[in-house]
Amino acid sequence: MGSIEGLLTGFQTAFSIEGILFVMIGVLVGTFIGMLPGLGPITAIAVMIPITFGMDPTTALIMMAGVYYGAVFGGSTSSILLNAPGISGTVASSFDGYPMAQQGKAGKALAIAAIASFTGGTVSVVLLMLLAPALSSVAIAFGPPAYFALMFMGLTAISSLSEGSTIKALISAVVGFMVATIGIDGQTGTQRFTFGNVNLLEGLDFLVIALGLFALAEVCTLIINRKDRSIQNAHKLGSLRLTKKDFKEMSGPVTRQSFLGFILGVLPGAGATIASFISYISEKRIAKKPEEFGKGSVKGLAAPEASNNAATSGAFVPLLSLGIPGSGTTAVMLGAFIVLGVQPGPLLMTDRPEIFWGIIASMYIGNVFLLILNLPLIPYFAKILTVPRPLLISLVIMFSMIGVYAISFNTFDLYMLLLFGVIGFLMRLFAFPAPPLILAFILGGMMEQSFRQSLTISNGSLMVFVTEPIALSLLIIALLTFVVPLIRQLRKQKG
Amino acid sequence: MLKTLNQRISIVLFIIAVGYLVLTFQLPSYGYTSVDADVIPMVLGWLLAVLAVCLFFSKDSETEEQKARRDIPKKDLGVLIAVFAFIFVYIMFLELLGFVVVTGLFIFFCSWFLGYRKHITNLIVSILFPLLMYITFTELLKINLPQGILPF
Repeated sequence: MGSIEGLLTGFQTAFSIEGILFVMIGVLVGTFIGMLPGLGPITAIAVMIPITFGMDPTTALIMMAGVYYGAVFGGSTSSILLNAPGISGTVASSFDGYPMAQQGKAGKALAIAAIASFTGGTVSVVLLMLLAPALSSVAIAFGPPAYFALMFMGLTAISSLSEGSTIKALISAVVGFMVATIGIDGQTGTQRFTFGNVNLLEGLDFLVIALGLFALAEVCTLIINRKDRSIQNAHKLGSLRLTKKDFKEMSGPVTRQSFLGFILGVLPGAGATIASFISYISEKRIAKKPEEFGKGSVKGLAAPEASNNAATSGAFVPLLSLGIPGSGTTAVMLGAFIVLGVQPGPLLMTDRPEIFWGIIASMYIGNVFLLILNLPLIPYFAKILTVPRPLLISLVIMFSMIGVYAISFNTFDLYMLLLFGVIGFLMRLFAFPAPPLILAFILGGMMEQSFRQSLTISNGSLMVFVTEPIALSLLIIALLTFVVPLIRQLRKQKG
Repeated sequence: MLKTLNQRISIVLFIIAVGYLVLTFQLPSYGYTSVDADVIPMVLGWLLAVLAVCLFFSKDSETEEQKARRDIPKKDLGVLIAVFAFIFVYIMFLELLGFVVVTGLFIFFCSWFLGYRKHITNLIVSILFPLLMYITFTELLKINLPQGILPF
């Protein structure tokens, strides 16, 4: 069955009344759960698994896929309105989304996020349809050295993630990497920096750090400025309408990052988080006015939003065509497939075309639903900004607490959240940027793992990073991202 | 000797780096691994120490906006510490008294302490928000939050 024929079969499944209904339920539930800090796509899918018992596998999986990208979409809302990123894939959206909301342009920020997500999602579904079989072979060609090089490339761009001192950005990154080393070492089983505390054996959760550094640190600023009349426009929704200039400004980043997000999503282990950070960094690098980033830039919001949604669809490539889950979320998805008696992998496309193509076709519809359902809801989402400041502060604290508690059911993590809130606030006071810390924390663990796997494969020889072409190319790019700005700076000084 | 803020911060960071390195040297080593558990932490510890030294000699000057950000009135600092104390008490009693009771009390008293004077609205939010969250989590999402002293 060819792609077109297969897609027509898929559309038949997705366009049935049942298909449309369950896609709609999926994206709605996903959006709602994604908006709650702490409850990302993993929880959303896990919650839905028992509900799908006894359902037709195609319908159930269509609904699950809807839950997945709905949750990624919903995660942006709390990032933009409260600076409380619920999932790691939406951290980068808060860098410019939250400043926009503070400037009284919350409506515009949410509309940009909705449109960018829709475009990213749709572009990547088209690519998924066209390239799924071919890309799966590329994905398996990525060995540990290439992964290490990819993550190293992400880390080298850290200086462009923040304004101000590069040394301070690098210190933040090193501290983030240090935090990532806490817990049991995966290869030797050694306990590192746990101080004999059993709660630290598994290391710290991403959410503890993200909500501490972003949400609680923001709460501190809100407390200090609670009577400041000059920032009252933070209560305003502003117009939802995007101007021609806005569309023009976002068209480039959205197009570029939809493609990049998809490619990064296809790579197992990369996913929406790395995709959104790399998109943000790369857009900032090529922007004519990079100084606008972090202060409410349209490009800075549109790029990670297009990218994280594109990566979500991209993650389905290894899952559907190889049966390999590339992330925690797709691993839970794989669990859902197996529970429903469907084995994803190379045979899925030929044995169960209605499921393979049904899921892909449902993504087209799901993306349209996300846009149709969410654009009119923006004024209601943004009502959160009209909540009186003292009450909003208490509610944001509670949202963060519930989010962290719901992951571990352990009050120790809440104390850690409090600690990272204090660290985040001190970092703000002394002008240390938080984004490099969170990026290094997310990449650190994975980077160390792939570094050690690479050296195990090569019997300890570092040449493994030079002899593998993908790894070498990525390392050269990483080197260039360091050297080129340096040369430019020297030239400027000479000039 | 320590003229700038950066120099004072760099000393603190250097001490952290040294402490981290001391802990790293105490990690047990295994002979048959390509990269032992202490290699990456050791690199990180040295890197932080070097960066702390760089910060000490860095000539980056603070912007006026950054300086103003640190200028917090003592009263506001007191309020900030008090809110953190509220959160601390909240965590201590969360599992003992239960989610609904502690969250309700936290929202009411924290909002009131921060200057919210519409007591009726505050009371309604303090009752409805925890209840709604509790029902959503326990009934719809099947995620158990601490029940505490309440019978449901």
